[in-house]
Amino acid sequence: MSAFFTGVWVILTLELRQRVRTVSWYVLIGVFIGLIAIVTIVLSVALRGFEVDNSGGAGVYSTIIYFVLLLGTLVAPALSGNAINGDRDAGTLATTQVTLITTWELIIGKFLAAWVTALAFLAAAVPFLIYASIVGRLGGGAIAVSLLILAVELGVVAAIGVGLSGLVSRPLFSVVLSYLAVAALSIGTLIAFTLGGLAVQSEVTNTSSYGVSYNDSGEAISCSPRQTTRYPTPRFDLFWGVLAANPYVVLADAVPSTYDSNGYPTDLFGQVKFGIRSAQITPETEVEYDECADGPPESSPTAREVIDTTTPGWFVGLVIHLLLAAGALTGAWARTRTPASRLSRGSRIA
Amino acid sequence: MRNLAPVKPPRSTKLGAMTVAQLVSGGIVVDHVRRSFGSVHAVRDASFTAMPGTVTGLIGPNGSGKTTLMLMLASLLQPEGGSIRIAGFDPMDATAEVRSRMGWMPDVLGSWANLSVRSTLEYTARMYGMDLPAASARAGELVSIVDLAELASSPTRVLSRGQKQRLSLARALVHNPEVLLLDEPASGLDPGARTHLRVLVRRLAAEGKTILVSSHVLAELDEMADGVVYIDGGVTASADVVARSRASARPWRIRSSNIEALRASLISVGITDAEITTDRKDLLVPLSGEDAAATLLVSLIRSGVVISAFAPAVGDLEHTFLDLSSSGDLT
Repeated sequence: MSAFFTGVWVILTLELRQRVRTVSWYVLIGVFIGLIAIVTIVLSVALRGFEVDNSGGAGVYSTIIYFVLLLGTLVAPALSGNAINGDRDAGTLATTQVTLITTWELIIGKFLAAWVTALAFLAAAVPFLIYASIVGRLGGGAIAVSLLILAVELGVVAAIGVGLSGLVSRPLFSVVLSYLAVAALSIGTLIAFTLGGLAVQSEVTNTSSYGVSYNDSGEAISCSPRQTTRYPTPRFDLFWGVLAANPYVVLADAVPSTYDSNGYPTDLFGQVKFGIRSAQITPETEVEYDECADGPPESSPTAREVIDTTTPGWFVGLVIHLLLAAGALTGAWARTRTPASRLSRGSRIA
Repeated sequence: MRNLAPVKPPRSTKLGAMTVAQLVSGGIVVDHVRRSFGSVHAVRDASFTAMPGTVTGLIGPNGSGKTTLMLMLASLLQPEGGSIRIAGFDPMDATAEVRSRMGWMPDVLGSWANLSVRSTLEYTARMYGMDLPAASARAGELVSIVDLAELASSPTRVLSRGQKQRLSLARALVHNPEVLLLDEPASGLDPGARTHLRVLVRRLAAEGKTILVSSHVLAELDEMADGVVYIDGGVTASADVVARSRASARPWRIRSSNIEALRASLISVGITDAEITTDRKDLLVPLSGEDAAATLLVSLIRSGVVISAFAPAVGDLEHTFLDLSSSGDLT
């Protein structure tokens, strides 16, 4: 087993020296730090106006985490999407494969290198995260969970990139496919959720009568005739599971929320979580309301109540992501192992 | 003379049940190997044996299946039929055993562009399971063996084609393998480097290694190889056919200051005018074998013709190669 880790370590360090540690990569990190700095400053100033319970820092923190996830998922495919087929093009894959490095050592080493590279972006954002967590007085749990989920999600993207680079023979094509995979998870799930909810609509029958005159204590004493209206309502409750596979939703759903005095989430994660959890609630198709009989309209539940009474789905999304990552890496292994039995059309092994 | 220090085979290697073939021969044993890609039969029927301590040439026209055969020997490609033994092991069943004993220099010159020559060799050594000190010691030896000591700290992207070629050879030698597969090792080398390569290859063979060299430069192989395997259309030529081709008539070049007297003498010893071709200032005459050539030379000198050159017009390998290629039937 130690031979396996030695092999992985050799590939990991080789990959980092050969592929990553270049001037352009340092420039990229510099640009990234610059962007984070701008976002942090602008948000700190802008959110001061909305500050309730001194929660502006929590908003800044969650926004920076989302920003790291966004940039990480934008950069990781470019760095990992040609890890294997790029080597084949450069003529360095086969010379590695004739050594005692096994195919799994090669693939795991390349995956770890891609992951470490993506995590460097997270590391670069740490000073800003520390600032935001101090200002926002964040709980240790929220910080730990958000960092952990972010790190795992970056790993998933790295694994998909490396996996596709082993499955597809042309580097350009595999990089594009990696981007499409990231886009499918980040934006595609959102589109599928929205379209699905709009396509399947249920008709709501609403029978209501409202108060016309009130007594001194504000109770309705005479009401309008019952009026029946029918209207369609989208059924997002049938499609919320699609959103569970969205990395931004997974992140938001997993992080424990903090609320202000009105039961409203203080950070971006909580607001996203409120949105996705609200979509779980099945709309009532028969609404009957008589103000004279039922009393004044109930106030709608707070975000906190909605979140506390609905199902968390982040672990389902996380499991889906981990299965995708494992599947991509296993597929790459099957296509890369030697002695090769099958070669894709028109490809050279060396 | 630089020292090629032996390196212990890295990692533990399990010896399975040894077959008779493994006991009687190291080297390379290829028996009726075939491999196709879809409808293209790259290698249809290849058989040959290369013994330890010898240099064997692998010759064939472009697209004849040389590289496909090399890839199967290098444990990168599965044969569809037949059997291969590298240093006594089957690359399919005992891949790690084969890899720890076999060095492969590909025809594609790839290198890790950002790494120095020395780091490239260190990383390759570590891929064979050597620890860091052993790897760096071995890298130090190899850069001087292949004459890259001055460039040891330069990134490999600045190397010329010939220098990359030598780096590639050094990489194949990292773990001091018993069997060396060299795919076009001489292409891109200047004459000095070729001589150096030839000396190095001969020395490695003298140490008991089995060396298979594929090349287009037939004259080069003529000087280097102990035996030759001809391959065309994915089929290796049998020994009988090679012997027949070697014995078939080939042109000899005869040079004289008096070309017309030479022509007259040639006709007088029984060579027809139609057989004689003029090439610049020389005459080319087809002769079958060394004996016929010796006899002709004696009669020409007796007839008083002044001769300044008398030699085969093409090398041994080139002649056999061309004869085999034109006959189109190697079996």
